[in-house]
Amino acid sequence: MATTGTSAVELRSLTRTYGRGEAAVHALRGIDLALPRGSFTAVMGPSGSGKSTFLQCAAGLDRPTGGEVLLGGEPITHLNENKLTKLRRSRVGFVFQSFNLLPSLTVQQNVLLPLRLAGASPDRRRAQALLADVGLDGHGRRRPGQLSGGQQQRVAIARALITRPEVIFADEPTGALDTGTARDILDLLRRAVDTMSATVVMVTHDPVAASRADRVLFLADGLLAGELHTPTPTAVADRMVTLTARGGTSLGAAA
Amino acid sequence: MNGLARASVRFRPASFAGSFVALLFAAAMVMACGTLLQTGVTAHVAPVRYAHVPVVVAPDPDARITVGHGEDRETEGEPLTDTPRLSAAFAPRIAAEPGVAAAVPDIAFPVQGAGLTALTGRNWDARAVEGVAAAQGHAPAAGEVVLDPGSARAAHTGVGRTVTLTAPGGTATYRVAGLTAPGTAATAYFAESAAPRLSGHPGLADAVAVLPRPGVSTAEAADQARHAVGRAADVRTGDGRGAAEQPRLAGAKEMLTAIGGSFGGIAAATAVFVVMGTVALAVGQRRREIALLRAIGATPRQIRRTVATEAVLVAPLAGLAGLLPGVALARWWLDQLVRRDAVPHGVTLAVGWIPMVVAVGAGLLAALVAGLLAARRPSKARPSEALGEAAVERRRPGVIRTLLGTVAVAGGVVLAAVAAHTTGDDAASIALAVVFCFMAGVAFLGPVVAWLAAAILGLPLRAGGAPGALAAANTRANARALASAITPIVLVTAFAGTLLCMQSSLQHESSRQIRDGVVADQVIGSAGAGVPAGTAARAARVEGVADAVGVLRSGALYRASGALNSTSVLGVDGDPAQLPGVLALGLRTGSLAGLTRDGRTVAVDTLLAATAKVHVGDRISLWLGDGTALRPRVVATYSRGLGLGSLLLPRAVLAPHAASAFDTEVLVHDGPGADAGAVRRALADRLGVPGLRVTDRAGYRAQADRDLELNAWANRVMAAVLGGFAAVAAANTLVMTVLDRRREVALLRLAGTTRLQVLRMLRGEAVLVAVAGLAIGSAIAWITLVPIARGLTGAAPYLAPRTAAVLACATLLLTLTATTLPARALLRDARGA
Repeated sequence: MATTGTSAVELRSLTRTYGRGEAAVHALRGIDLALPRGSFTAVMGPSGSGKSTFLQCAAGLDRPTGGEVLLGGEPITHLNENKLTKLRRSRVGFVFQSFNLLPSLTVQQNVLLPLRLAGASPDRRRAQALLADVGLDGHGRRRPGQLSGGQQQRVAIARALITRPEVIFADEPTGALDTGTARDILDLLRRAVDTMSATVVMVTHDPVAASRADRVLFLADGLLAGELHTPTPTAVADRMVTLTARGGTSLGAAA
Repeated sequence: MNGLARASVRFRPASFAGSFVALLFAAAMVMACGTLLQTGVTAHVAPVRYAHVPVVVAPDPDARITVGHGEDRETEGEPLTDTPRLSAAFAPRIAAEPGVAAAVPDIAFPVQGAGLTALTGRNWDARAVEGVAAAQGHAPAAGEVVLDPGSARAAHTGVGRTVTLTAPGGTATYRVAGLTAPGTAATAYFAESAAPRLSGHPGLADAVAVLPRPGVSTAEAADQARHAVGRAADVRTGDGRGAAEQPRLAGAKEMLTAIGGSFGGIAAATAVFVVMGTVALAVGQRRREIALLRAIGATPRQIRRTVATEAVLVAPLAGLAGLLPGVALARWWLDQLVRRDAVPHGVTLAVGWIPMVVAVGAGLLAALVAGLLAARRPSKARPSEALGEAAVERRRPGVIRTLLGTVAVAGGVVLAAVAAHTTGDDAASIALAVVFCFMAGVAFLGPVVAWLAAAILGLPLRAGGAPGALAAANTRANARALASAITPIVLVTAFAGTLLCMQSSLQHESSRQIRDGVVADQVIGSAGAGVPAGTAARAARVEGVADAVGVLRSGALYRASGALNSTSVLGVDGDPAQLPGVLALGLRTGSLAGLTRDGRTVAVDTLLAATAKVHVGDRISLWLGDGTALRPRVVATYSRGLGLGSLLLPRAVLAPHAASAFDTEVLVHDGPGADAGAVRRALADRLGVPGLRVTDRAGYRAQADRDLELNAWANRVMAAVLGGFAAVAAANTLVMTVLDRRREVALLRLAGTTRLQVLRMLRGEAVLVAVAGLAIGSAIAWITLVPIARGLTGAAPYLAPRTAAVLACATLLLTLTATTLPARALLRDARGA
């Protein structure tokens, strides 16, 4: 573990380009950013602003074209695929919009999967505690197929927390959920930050969801286009309206 | 990681069902061929007739040649085409050995009489072989016969009365000297002096039974017999006597080995091929799952291990499940071969562990390799690529893939060229190898081929409204998925098409030659073993008959470079100058006038001449049905050998060495102005031989070569087995690809596509897959067949339009069913959700 004081995630002039020559799409055009530990950051932007690419590069799921990514102060850009994978499973947690869980494993097995992949002994007690934390006590032996969408997202959060990661990356975690369920999920993420001092980076298009974060970053055309601290839904929505009106030019292929 | 694999197999067996089905059928096919191979290697029959004779001296059932020089010298053997025989003169030489009490030549020949059909004629001494004693009466003298009671009853005769019997050597009336014990086989025993002449092959015997003196062991007697005959014949004891009793065993073993070996090799390769395709498809369909695993921290190695473990879990189970059906298939196959007289009775299926291990092991290995290869790309892919919602089709095909594909196609072309120089037996195996090369090419270049097919066939499809346009767009965009569906269809069409077409080409050309070649006005045939010698001469004296020519059809081996090939041989009676009146052979070079009766000359078919590389004036090495070697000079070549017989010899040369010395038919040429009907009636009345039938030229038996008939059947079975397997694979793949589109179908439904439109779209795709598969498969079959058909028949390949239509319709039906059924299930699910 890196010493306290360094940022959980740090990006230095990060660029990501898809394709070559004429057809090249510049999803990220140079982003400098530091996210402190124990913070809850939301990333917003119109379609095609590069927010998914941002998340994937920051999480080590995708390789940037230029610049550098530091996780807990350690540069990950030059790691080979194997090392990157190992880093991911020990220091990063993921919550995706959908298809988070392996349908063939039970809930508890899904939660323990990162430990199992790491070859560590599966800590069943901790898995049960985490499942209780996310409100799924006693659901450990069920299969994902028997759970609702919201419950599946909670399992995903429990799984993301099992390795005590440096950062949890959440890609539209409430995108497929109704308002009430979405609120529960956001509460869980908030609680993880407040009580377990986790660092959460969440991509979303929902101003209400974004307003639960400490800070909202706005992306437009692959560049940072401002931020809001202690946001309110209205302020976030207003800013989004401005951004969308201004930047109708992006091609939307970088999402 | 083991747990992960086990969990996915146990929790979602459905996603492994496709691989399971492919593996099961593959194991069954490999097991069946392996079992036949093992049966061919180990087959033996227990002696029945020779059970009481400790030592049997039998002729070598193979013709042998030596090929190569110096270090590379080796002997090639090929089973003789008819009953092998040895010189009866061995008997007295063996009998002269001190430990031998008696050495009896065993002579057998077909005998017919009024009311008697399947009577075997034997020499009186041969009773010693079976231990049959005359129950009534005495030993037959010249002009006498001993019958079994059943035959005597059937012929309404008895001891002291007479019976008229027809043997290959002639028809005569005999006095019944005695009867054998009740219940013995239908046999007529003739006097020792008369039997050799009556048999039609004087001086030759099927075997010599050696009875040792009391106190002389079997081994000693065998050694003495060996001393007497040297290397001119085989001395057999124990179960080896069974092979002497069933000379067909050697040929049967070779055939079983060929089915199990060459066809089995192709079948195994196909099975591996299909299994690999299916497993790769199944792994490819789990891209999302693999991507998720990668995102949450599974290394590429861990992914590969999971896939490998899954293969290890599924493959052995599927393989084991396929063993029993495989044995059942082998059993049916062998039974059919026995029923068709290609394998002697008493040969039992040898079910051993080696084929089992191979069947299960091949499946396991194929699944493992295919799984690892298929998992290579998704396991290495960046999780972000794989997690992308739109599963975008991948880029250009890889360099290695393209290279392998090109090599495979080139190999197919080269093999096809080689195939042009093969004959009969080898042609089928080479054809399959050619098909296989092209198949591998199609599989490797699949996406390219599929994209091309979609682009071309999509044009008419797009005219068919929204569903058609969707189908056209889908097939073009998903060329890879399309390729995995097209490949098995190509497989069915190419395999079944090649095997069936090869046969129908032969039959078509053969019957065309018979139609053109048989110009006789009347054909005298027999319901029994054949037409006795002399019938032709008598027929020639009937009023209105210009000429009558007896023909005897048999088999022979000929040497072509380093190999022995079997062929059909036609023996003709009388003056060769009369032949054009009844048979138009289509003379090409030389003249039949040069065909002498001493066996030093022969006329050959042009195709055979080309294979053996002989011209008029050259000599050709022949082995007649009983193993007699000849080296006659070629005096003429003719073109209709496929239908009429590829070698032409005088009957007198051929008859003593054929299985039966009866004529197969007598061909009659009516005199000028004779009324065909009147001549036919006159022939029927005046010949006075029971069991003869007189017909017009259509009565000429369509098949000159019994090998051809057997080959036809064998090819049909092979086509059915391979085609059936490929059909299962095709259906399997189609079901898998349709079921994989659950999300897409749900999306289409949400977007307002009606159920019918979705079905129509999928059907459109199915038709495209079927048509593309049929077109490519037919192209492969055609490229394979053109050189082979030219080599075998000298003509272009021929497939009966009906067979072609049935094949095409079956393929279309299979594709539509395998698409529509799972599609309906998907739509039902979508409605419920």
